[in-house]
Amino acid sequence: MVSSTPTTATQGNPASAGEREARLTALLVVGAMVVGALAQVAIPPGPLTLVAATGIASLVVLGLSFVVPGRLRTTLAGFRFTSTLLIALAVFAIIGTLVLQGKPEQLYRERYGAFGPLIVALRFDDIFHGLPFAGLTALFGAAILASASLRWPISARRIGFFIAHVGLLVSGAGAAASSVLSVRGRIDLFTGGDVATQVRVTKGGAPTGAVAQLPFEIKLDQFDLVNYETEYRVGYYAKERVKRGGEVFEDYRLKTSFDPDLAKHRLPGGDQFRLKAIYPDFVTTPSVAPAASGGQPAMQVTLGGATRWLTDGQQVASPDGQLVVVFGWARPTAPAGAPTAVLISGQARTVVVQRADGAAEQPLAEGAALLGGYLRLGQLLPSAVVSSQYGTRSTEWKNPGAVLELNVDGRIQEQLVLANQPRGVFVQADRSALVFEKRDKEVKAFRSHVTARQGESVARAVIAVNEPLSFAGWTLYQVNYNPDDPTYSGLEAVRDPGVAWVFLGFGLICLGVAYMFYVEPRLRGGGIERPAAPPAQP
Amino acid sequence: MFLDYILFEHPFFAATTLLYAAATAAYAAAWRSTRALVGQVATGLMVAAVVLNVTLVVGRWIEAGREPFKSLFESLVFLALCLGVLYVVMERLYRTRIFGLPAAVMAFGCIGYALFKWDADIVKLPPALQSAWFMPHVLVYFIGYAALAFATGVAVVQLLASRLPWVLRLTRLRAGTMLTGEPLDLDQITYDVVRFGFILLTIGLLIGSVWAKSAWGDFWVWDPKENWSLVTWLVYGAYLHLRKVRGWRGDRAAWLAIIGFAVIMFTYLGMGLLPTAEESAHVYTG
Repeated sequence: MVSSTPTTATQGNPASAGEREARLTALLVVGAMVVGALAQVAIPPGPLTLVAATGIASLVVLGLSFVVPGRLRTTLAGFRFTSTLLIALAVFAIIGTLVLQGKPEQLYRERYGAFGPLIVALRFDDIFHGLPFAGLTALFGAAILASASLRWPISARRIGFFIAHVGLLVSGAGAAASSVLSVRGRIDLFTGGDVATQVRVTKGGAPTGAVAQLPFEIKLDQFDLVNYETEYRVGYYAKERVKRGGEVFEDYRLKTSFDPDLAKHRLPGGDQFRLKAIYPDFVTTPSVAPAASGGQPAMQVTLGGATRWLTDGQQVASPDGQLVVVFGWARPTAPAGAPTAVLISGQARTVVVQRADGAAEQPLAEGAALLGGYLRLGQLLPSAVVSSQYGTRSTEWKNPGAVLELNVDGRIQEQLVLANQPRGVFVQADRSALVFEKRDKEVKAFRSHVTARQGESVARAVIAVNEPLSFAGWTLYQVNYNPDDPTYSGLEAVRDPGVAWVFLGFGLICLGVAYMFYVEPRLRGGGIERPAAPPAQP
Repeated sequence: MFLDYILFEHPFFAATTLLYAAATAAYAAAWRSTRALVGQVATGLMVAAVVLNVTLVVGRWIEAGREPFKSLFESLVFLALCLGVLYVVMERLYRTRIFGLPAAVMAFGCIGYALFKWDADIVKLPPALQSAWFMPHVLVYFIGYAALAFATGVAVVQLLASRLPWVLRLTRLRAGTMLTGEPLDLDQITYDVVRFGFILLTIGLLIGSVWAKSAWGDFWVWDPKENWSLVTWLVYGAYLHLRKVRGWRGDRAAWLAIIGFAVIMFTYLGMGLLPTAEESAHVYTG
């Protein structure tokens, strides 16, 4: 794709021409790296160094290729040279992932031992801004121009080559402009806080200490931190060996999870479970039934429309706390603090309404209405069996609970599990457990509502991740928030005059390559290279 | 016991895995059998596996409420689908089943590996991934990866054919399990498919940069994954150039295609092994 002239290896004596080309290729590529490595002893690396060195070296090599006798230009334009260069660039890209980039010198000594100083000396700590890399990109630029010069003039059969290579140059120029001319930095805003008029300039994500003035002012009107809706799950945890901080120990890790439903489920260990019942807003309600003997007294009351059973000594208060109803088999006493107390005695069958100004007693009558009908007396059971029943207050998932039935090797056990008090139900003792729990909170979006003002021009916008705001030549990106401070928003401000050219170049590369691969062969009359049409099936 | 869980809880996944395994066996049998039925059965099994694979992806999409490419597990299932679909298209295009074995092995390998990378939970999309670029980026890259995997399969057959006479015969088989009677130009097929894959890698790289720009304000940050995507592009770029150089067709080109795919696999799965992994925003946590 990148370069192309008819290969020089096919001209003259193929073997010797090829060998000469290979030798010159090796000399140029190795030479560029060595010269770059030596030059950077004196010249510190950096974006400007990279761009300047690439541009100058590229033009020098190209110029030389036109004036130096021999095969320099055809070698530069050749497929062998370009492929060697591409591999060399790939090696640099790989080194950039093997060695940490842009860290303090001390870190290389600590992390890489004896190799640390060598890495720093060779500038492998900032490899993509070093001169050896600049040397290779310079050769790349020269190779593109040399191959274009040999293919001139443009024709329909070669236009794909030119489009792709112009694309490479345009994106390279855009990247260079971006690298040298772009300014980026952080703006920290607070809701209702000060207006920002400058950015703290950063390089490689770290602050440089410099500030850049914005041609406008910006303030944060509102900040939204939106979480995904809370979800619940039955998590299956299994113990496994984990390595952390150089130590190996056993810990439970989530292996799989199940939606809370009533279906039967199989666990990775082969055991089974199901949720027999699910209560979105779990509550226990007492269930009362008469007992022939051995029970306890119970009294049903309806207070403010809510009916419940009170057992011996129990009480219930009105929502405003102004009224307390107490039931006792013997005569109960009024609790302290309540302005009005209704004391129901089961044995004496009396009801005492006690206020600050005195008390009034009346006989207990089932179905009687007191206090203007706010309190109604229900059934009295001298001997009752009281048990708890699971239920739900509403269909909203406020306090989820469930009855979990576990089947381990044919042995069935049931257990109440509450998501707001998650506890493991062991499946295989000490090895695996099920937990009914709330899923971790997950951030859905963080958005800044901002107002940017430049003179009379005002822009009100919402900035979110993937939804930047462009204003007065700057683009503002949402990059940070503080979960503990909902008033804070971190923005990245970027002014990048090269980016449009980079994308234009990329687009041209795609277009040119597609044209070269699929249109040019047709124009040459060969059609797409493909095996001949098959004969009919035997 | 884990398989028991998969069979009971995820029967479509189990069925897809079994079908890819069966297709692998059938395509392997088709390499040695002269009966056309064996090859037809292999194709049928592959198509069935692909159809079930589609249901897995669509099912996950519905269940997760988002594109199913977030985790390594999800991406492996999707890559298996891309491999399967691309192979079926190629089988029609080149009218041969000889590449069915490597294609089925790779699709089965992806699904099988997904078993070991099982998602403990379906996670939501973080804000950075909530982008219109997410789906086209992944789609283009994975179709590209599938194409280059296919090219690698062809390159492997090409290398085997130059060493094993019976494989060479297969590439020229007229009757029996293979559809075409014409000798296959394996080198040319590899080249054609690499060209197709290379265009997709280029578009994928472009989409990725545009997306990175819109999310973080920078189109290129020399992130390890970005670097390795660039390495992949450069290696295949070198392949396409070297093929025009005398002596770089045939076995050498096939080896280069295989090396290119090894680089893809490292880019896809090996980022966690890099000492700079902690600096990357692209490493799968699954």
